[in-house]
Amino acid sequence: MASTNPETKVEEESSEAVATAAAAGEEEDTGAQFAPIVKLEEVSVTTGEEDEEVLLDLKAKLYRFDKEGNQWKERGVGTVKLLKHKQTGKVRLVMRQSKTLKICANHLVHSSMTVQEHAGNDKSCVWHATDFSDGELKEELFAIRFGSIENCKTFKEMFKEVAESQTHKAGEKKEAESAADLLEKLSVGETKEEEKGVKEEEAPASVSEEKKHEDEKKNEKEEQAKPDGEK
Amino acid sequence: MALPNQQTVDYPSFKLVIVGDGGTGKTTFVKRHLTGEFEKKYEPTIGVEVHPLDFFTNCGKIRFYCWDTAGQEKFGGLRDGYYIHGQCAIIMFDVTARLTYKNVPTWHRDLCRVCENIPIVLCGNKVDVKNRQVKAKQVTFHRKKNLQYYEISAKSNYNFEKPFLYLARKLAGDPNLHFVESPALAPPEVQIDMAAQQQHEAELAAAAAQPLPDDDDELND
Repeated sequence: MASTNPETKVEEESSEAVATAAAAGEEEDTGAQFAPIVKLEEVSVTTGEEDEEVLLDLKAKLYRFDKEGNQWKERGVGTVKLLKHKQTGKVRLVMRQSKTLKICANHLVHSSMTVQEHAGNDKSCVWHATDFSDGELKEELFAIRFGSIENCKTFKEMFKEVAESQTHKAGEKKEAESAADLLEKLSVGETKEEEKGVKEEEAPASVSEEKKHEDEKKNEKEEQAKPDGEK
Repeated sequence: MALPNQQTVDYPSFKLVIVGDGGTGKTTFVKRHLTGEFEKKYEPTIGVEVHPLDFFTNCGKIRFYCWDTAGQEKFGGLRDGYYIHGQCAIIMFDVTARLTYKNVPTWHRDLCRVCENIPIVLCGNKVDVKNRQVKAKQVTFHRKKNLQYYEISAKSNYNFEKPFLYLARKLAGDPNLHFVESPALAPPEVQIDMAAQQQHEAELAAAAAQPLPDDDDELND
């Protein structure tokens, strides 16, 4: 049964365990018969990510900081994504646990967020977020570890770029830019060219569009929240 | 099968009983699924702890009420009471401790006295450890008793989803049931408070100095 899935063998963290399982011939279903106790119908699957563009998708291990115990605790191993909404331009970080595909991180990326290095591990970095994994907002300190220094760098750079692009709402942005233009005229060379480039790229979404979409999302959220209503 | 103080849910739920000798990793396995963490410290379970654990499948959301029972005899309490109305079970042993495998038939017998003909998974835990005492080939009990067997590691997550997947398939009578992505709801906007943010930055700086647990294992794309 489950063992027929070929990717299960490739992805395992422990090569020792893989070797052992291979030796055991990956136990097949012993064929035990039971009368099912529920009848379940196939349902359509919604990931909630349908209207988003994937900016980044990397395998990683996520940790959350346990303040009481003053220690990092594992949260999950899987793929971390940065997703940009096609209409609103908002970007969020979503991470899912491999195999069970459960969500272990789900939060918006804000302009005020900064990713910092982790002192003891150059494949890791840390940040603070208001996380929505469980359907309620929680303050979390996250650390993430990648398989390579390069992947960590890619993640940090993309995160930084995204945070900067989320600087202002569209209306404020025009003001900010014209102010920046003025400044540039006044004191040439003090405004960083790179930062300006990013701002201009991200300008399009109008305020009204954004507002409308927030309303839609609110409705959508309320609908989706129903089956999850328990706690 | 919820406890009186637990809310019932409007999707299918099952009572899952988890048994096996003390220290084989029952609680650690459940915790791993609940929060993602891997708890190294051994604190024996007293009596029983019930944890709801949800999974998203192509046939909708399902819930296991995991009855994580005390493995140590002296903390056992009212065993039969825990087993009653059990709809599926996991029997756990530790592949690095032979005695825990030797005791599997006893756990199986006690369980089956109360729960007749329910799907049961036998789990050999800690297969990440180099010095195994019970080799895969030596595990034969499940064949006689029609149990499913999985080698697992709560530490490395090896096969950690398999016991639940097997049980869900048997309970629903659907061999094609599989886990799917749970919906990632849009996070609401949050107000950014400058004072709070400064505090977070300070906490973050302190946290960044704390080492990550097990930061040496492989993570390949």
